[in-house]
Amino acid sequence: MLFLQLLVDGLVSGCAIGLVAVSFSLYYSTTRVFHVAHAGIYTLGGYLAWYGAMQGIPFAIACALAVAGAAFAGAVIQRFLYDELERREATPLVMLIASLGALAVLQNGVAMLFTPNILQFPNPWRTRMLDLGIASVSYAQVLVAASGLAAFGALMWMSRRTLLGRRIRAVASNPFLAEITRLGPRSVYLAVMAIASAMAALSGIMVGLDQAMQPYTGVLVLLTATIAVIAGGIGSLTGAFVVAVALSVLQNVALILMPGRWSIAATFALFVVFILVKPEGLFRKR
Amino acid sequence: MSFLLSYLVLATIYSIAALSTNLLVGIIGIFSVSQAAIIGVGAYTVALLAGVVPFPVAMLVAVVLCALVNVLLALPSLRVAGDYFVVTSFGCQLVATAVFINWDTLTGGASGIVAIPAPSLFGFTADTPQTFLVISTIALLAACAGFWLLMRSPFGKIVHAIREDETAVLAAGKNVLRAKVSVSAVSGVYAGLAGGLYATFLNFIDPPSFDLHVSILILTMLVVGGARTLAGSIIGPFLLLALPQLLNLVAVPPTMAGPLRQFIYGALLIAFMLFRPQGIAGRRL
Repeated sequence: MLFLQLLVDGLVSGCAIGLVAVSFSLYYSTTRVFHVAHAGIYTLGGYLAWYGAMQGIPFAIACALAVAGAAFAGAVIQRFLYDELERREATPLVMLIASLGALAVLQNGVAMLFTPNILQFPNPWRTRMLDLGIASVSYAQVLVAASGLAAFGALMWMSRRTLLGRRIRAVASNPFLAEITRLGPRSVYLAVMAIASAMAALSGIMVGLDQAMQPYTGVLVLLTATIAVIAGGIGSLTGAFVVAVALSVLQNVALILMPGRWSIAATFALFVVFILVKPEGLFRKR
Repeated sequence: MSFLLSYLVLATIYSIAALSTNLLVGIIGIFSVSQAAIIGVGAYTVALLAGVVPFPVAMLVAVVLCALVNVLLALPSLRVAGDYFVVTSFGCQLVATAVFINWDTLTGGASGIVAIPAPSLFGFTADTPQTFLVISTIALLAACAGFWLLMRSPFGKIVHAIREDETAVLAAGKNVLRAKVSVSAVSGVYAGLAGGLYATFLNFIDPPSFDLHVSILILTMLVVGGARTLAGSIIGPFLLLALPQLLNLVAVPPTMAGPLRQFIYGALLIAFMLFRPQGIAGRRL
């Protein structure tokens, strides 16, 4: 059953892309900064965890350390780059170019520290297979799906039920009002960046565990994720996640019809048509 | 000596590429990280046609094709604004790289196209860096003259106004659509010119010559030199292309050289955006 296997594989990798998509969406809808360097944070997370695993640290601990490290890196970018630029009243174009610079620094920093070659996690259990009857998945794939769904659920809970979540939504809907009511948009932005970076890193680690890692693959993941964010409707976290999973399933199932190397082009062509016809997205709230 | 000449030729070619990006990013305000893809289209066209038709004809086809493709890629920016277009631009660049690598019957795949004939014009063949420098300098001068005239014309004023306030220009009864399409076409012509010269100068092209890193490199050249001015688009390439030569003086393992260079470009982008967003000789971005 090739179709079912591809479907399951698509659902699994969709959870990882969905995580990048919701974290990007959370940050973008709060700050309105198009944070291209998010792809670099995704890459950084994977490599940090790999380094930890290579030192013989148990995977769970290496993973936690890498997520913390990526959250810190994100906070540094927020505090010393985006906040500074905003203080200087930089235009969105300037912010974007700076973000592109941060992406280049992160990706190539990783390439210099860990070589630009393909790397794989040393943990032997990651390729062990689990038979589900209709399809089989590896232990790593189980972790990809579980971590993606858990992190998405946690984010939704945080956004709806906690004080921080309410503050984030308040700042997102009206930064000026938030400023004068002393909600402190700056500290909210910092928190949002740390959370988003941690989620992107988690996704990067899990995908690295499941497949392999290279310093420059993050851009492609972020492109698919941003397509999902826009098609799902800016500001809708559920929309971003659902469309990301759907896109990933589509890309995988399309393998029956065409070779994988063309799937990026096909997804993207679909997106361009979509954005021209329905620029407000599928799930946008009014 | 020929080392210095090659540097000069490449710098003139990248200056034309920077002018192309300047027209889009600096002048009319369409953000683009896919200029390398357009240059690639020009380079592949000339590489494939160079042995078949005379050099000027191949160049003409490349230039027209690039103008068309550039307008096509810029068209979504008429409907979707700002950040949405960033995604489109990234996508175009990644798709172009995928096409260069995967359409191997036409592009030679990952190994690229080798032995591209040197350009010959009126029975005179530019097969040495000296003679090629003459051709590329003439091309750059023509590109500069075109850019300068365009910016000074009444049309140039409209174009600047569109970047500042599109709605106001529209309300004044000016044709915004036509202005955007025209500037994209001119930008495409410059990119095609740069691509054709690049292919015939190096006699060899492959997909990494036109990937996202190259787009970012050209954007860095533009930003460091200074956006929106003629001088900026020339200072940037001449400065940044000297950087790899400087890095050669430091002992860096060959596998590290590429990442280190791109790391420095990234750091330059950040530093200029923070401390001097107008670049060395540009205007406010």
